[in-house]
Amino acid sequence: MLLELNHIFKWVSQGGSRVFLLKDINLLVEEGEFISIMGPSGSGKSTLLNVIGMLDGFQEGEYNFLDQSVHSLKEKKRSQLYKEYIGFVFQAYHLIDELTVYENIETPLLYKNVKASERKALVADMLDRFNIVGKKDLFPSQLSGGQQQLVGIARALIAKPKLILADEPTGNLNSKQSEEIMELFKELNQEGVTIIQATHSELNAAYGSRTIHLLDGGRDNI
Amino acid sequence: MIRNYFKIAWRNLGANKLFTTLNVAGLAIGICVCIILFTYVSNELGFDRMYKNSANIYRVNMETSSHYDFETWATLPNAVGPAIVEDIPQVKSMSRLIKDDFGATASLKVEDKNFTEKRLYLADSAIFKLFDFNFIEGNSHTAFSKPKSIVVSQSAKERLFNNESALGKTIIVNNRDTLQVTGVYKDLPHNSVIDCNMIYNIMDSWMGTNVYWSNASYETYCLLEANADVAAIQKQATALIDKNVEKSGQYFTKFLFQPLTKIHLYSSHLRESYTSRQGNISTVKSLLFLSLLVLLIACINYMNLATANSRKRTKSIGMNKVLGANKRQMLFLFYMETAILTCIAIVIGYAAAFLGIPLFERITGNELHYSNLYSTPILISLLAIWATVTLIAGSYPAISMSNISPLALMNKSQKKHRGAEFVRKGLVVFQFAASIILIIAVVIILQQMDFIKTKDLGYKPEGVVALSVKSAQNQQQIQNLINALERKSTVKSVSAVQTIPGDVESGRSVRKLATDTEGLPVNTCRTYGDIIETMQLKLLAGNELPTTIAKGDSTCYTLINEAIISYLGYKTPEEAVGKSINTEFGDNAIISGVIKDFNYKSVKDKIGGYMYYKMTDGPESVRTLLVRYNTKNLSGFLQDVQKSFNENLPNTAFAYQFLDKYVENLYLSEQRTANTATVFSLLAIFIACLGLFGLAAFTAEERTKEIGIRKVLGATVTGVTKLLTKDFLKLVLIAFAIAVPVAWWLTHKWLMEFAYRTQINWWVFVIAGIIAMCIALITISFQAIKTAIANPVDSLRNE
Repeated sequence: MLLELNHIFKWVSQGGSRVFLLKDINLLVEEGEFISIMGPSGSGKSTLLNVIGMLDGFQEGEYNFLDQSVHSLKEKKRSQLYKEYIGFVFQAYHLIDELTVYENIETPLLYKNVKASERKALVADMLDRFNIVGKKDLFPSQLSGGQQQLVGIARALIAKPKLILADEPTGNLNSKQSEEIMELFKELNQEGVTIIQATHSELNAAYGSRTIHLLDGGRDNI
Repeated sequence: MIRNYFKIAWRNLGANKLFTTLNVAGLAIGICVCIILFTYVSNELGFDRMYKNSANIYRVNMETSSHYDFETWATLPNAVGPAIVEDIPQVKSMSRLIKDDFGATASLKVEDKNFTEKRLYLADSAIFKLFDFNFIEGNSHTAFSKPKSIVVSQSAKERLFNNESALGKTIIVNNRDTLQVTGVYKDLPHNSVIDCNMIYNIMDSWMGTNVYWSNASYETYCLLEANADVAAIQKQATALIDKNVEKSGQYFTKFLFQPLTKIHLYSSHLRESYTSRQGNISTVKSLLFLSLLVLLIACINYMNLATANSRKRTKSIGMNKVLGANKRQMLFLFYMETAILTCIAIVIGYAAAFLGIPLFERITGNELHYSNLYSTPILISLLAIWATVTLIAGSYPAISMSNISPLALMNKSQKKHRGAEFVRKGLVVFQFAASIILIIAVVIILQQMDFIKTKDLGYKPEGVVALSVKSAQNQQQIQNLINALERKSTVKSVSAVQTIPGDVESGRSVRKLATDTEGLPVNTCRTYGDIIETMQLKLLAGNELPTTIAKGDSTCYTLINEAIISYLGYKTPEEAVGKSINTEFGDNAIISGVIKDFNYKSVKDKIGGYMYYKMTDGPESVRTLLVRYNTKNLSGFLQDVQKSFNENLPNTAFAYQFLDKYVENLYLSEQRTANTATVFSLLAIFIACLGLFGLAAFTAEERTKEIGIRKVLGATVTGVTKLLTKDFLKLVLIAFAIAVPVAWWLTHKWLMEFAYRTQINWWVFVIAGIIAMCIALITISFQAIKTAIANPVDSLRNE
């Protein structure tokens, strides 16, 4: 088991009544799975990913990640945990504009205090693997959307995470670029990385081994 | 890691060129001002610390009795110094120091050339023991070993003798003493109150040999034993008064030992000493305060501009946090950015300080030397400024930005921080309040200066030139010069006087009854010639002083002002005319005429009793000719006068002074205050504008979406501009409300120093408010209009 969500509730209070963002979510994820989360806008896909990624909290329920109960961990411990095991990929790429491709990919290693020589080797490997060696000194604004997302994925992978969380990773890309990225995810999954992606597209969802449907914050079991 | 932060910080600065420029400009100005002011302050505080004996040298001052309003004087009778050395064993040695002829410009003659010298002193030979004189010709032991010796500074030697050796050469002082040069010393440090250009032995003059406990004109410096008990010595010295002066004659009651190192800054309350380098601790403090204020305003600016830029940074901080950065690392990143920026600003500010120093000297009249800029304290203060500014200016952005949550990435825009907004607005209010206070202060200072310039002084200083004739060899020479001058068509009238108004009158007193022990202190000035015509005084009653006095007439004829007749109790000026008057002039003094009160001193002082007198063989000599001229061609006129002067007083240097310039110089320090305040207010306003500009940019950015929606709904450009400007004008109004009472209080306090002063008008405040408002409006509208005319499609697309 990689992670387990039990009866997760998340809400905000609005005018005295609760508006539920997540309602009684139960989810068990084994290592090596490729899960697609589907649902209309506002159904809670991103919120669920943020909760799994430990960037956001919840009010009720239990969350266990690799046998640690996340809901009872201190902020510092929690950030250590996701730093170690989780990589994020975003719809808007979210590369750091002031850093070059090389430096963007290197950043997670810096925060993990990896030695310079090792960092160099790891980043070089990653650039090689994604065929972007020639672009390593460019800034994000000099790349196309697809290339930026490649860098985003490379950055998510550099720290060797067990889990990749991808929030609409192809939402800003055209269909050809989309396909390339999804093929890449498939490859990664085959290498053993667990992936959870949120998506609108049936086509993309089909890459996954399992699809979860969300509606108004709750599982919509068809 | 650090390299990475440095890179991010550096690229960020490069990416926002406008913000970086504004920031660096603001900080550099603030820092430049600080560096110059620190240089000035360290120079002032360093005064007289360079001497080997600095810590053990004291100047003896004295506290006067009620006769002189309990003033403290820096000068003593010449008997005090020798008595102290003799009686108090802990006083190792002593030197009196007095300017030749009590401070009047000396006329020197070397071979057949005439020179003037303002810093010719008389001193005891111990002066070379007290202070470190480095002799390049002669030495300190032999300097005064022969009678009629004089030592000169290196620069004075170069002026008088060019590059030749001066040893053994002759200088004739005031056509009176022939002195021989026995030594040349390296110029004394420029930051010392001891500013002698030439010194001759006081024991060669009656000033040293004829000791008395009455006239107090001598500065007295004592060298004490190390670790001496100064309080005890002071008591012992004070005890000498009772021993030597009869109770009834005691017009001073106490001796005060003032450390040498305090003389420069802590003597402004003392009645004058001879040094030309009188500082003032309150000037030092207020300039230091102003410079820190400017620096603080610059720091505030930085905070405003940095947070204004935060929207763009939010994403990058959020992303860094997702990638594993913690709060401390982000804090560090922001401090790093501030540190880099401050470093650039310091380099620019330091370079600008070199350009700023001459300007500073012009504005404040303080002497500074470039070499001070390289001194260790200044270089250390650069580091201190760097650290302080980084910590202060960096704190707010660093703390507020490092708190940004990674969720900011997810377009979950964080709630607006009410607190942060309040802080930002508070900062702007503070900046503007400070600027408005400075504007008001400047206007009122300028008004007072104008008041002084246009005030009817009771006489007309314009069109009068004063010639020094004190070195004339005899009275006949002066009379011949007067006659020659009076023959000129360009000269309206000539009066010979003891002194120009307010300079070196004699202090006497007028008593109601001859038997009274106390009376009204009056300034008396000996004169002959038509003083009323020359000074353009207003004669209220009676006559001018008689043109000639018959042989054998010992009457003292006087011309007194209203202050004296009101003390004497006459109801009208006419009543007083012809009456006799009780003064130190004896029984035979009568009132010839009454003149209207005139400001013989600065308008800071109330007008007291003033008396012109004329008598045969008066106790004072006549040292100055006042010449009222009637021509526009001043240079031609002066040449003409000099020609007559040289013909009639062949052995005297020609020294002149325009009376209106002299009067202007009385207000030099006020003029400098005005200049300083003007410059500082301009700087403060400029930096405050940079800050406001930043805040306006910030708000415009924050409200881009709102503006977009409003425009889609039909808002006009004018409407939107108004919307954006309104809030800021509110801030300026609040700043105005805070500034007015503070400014009123400050300027009122300053004006109280003047006995005669202008009114504080309400419209000054209104004008200051309007100026601040206009400046703010111009600054803001640039951003407001830019936002207002932007296409709403652009701002709404990305949501």
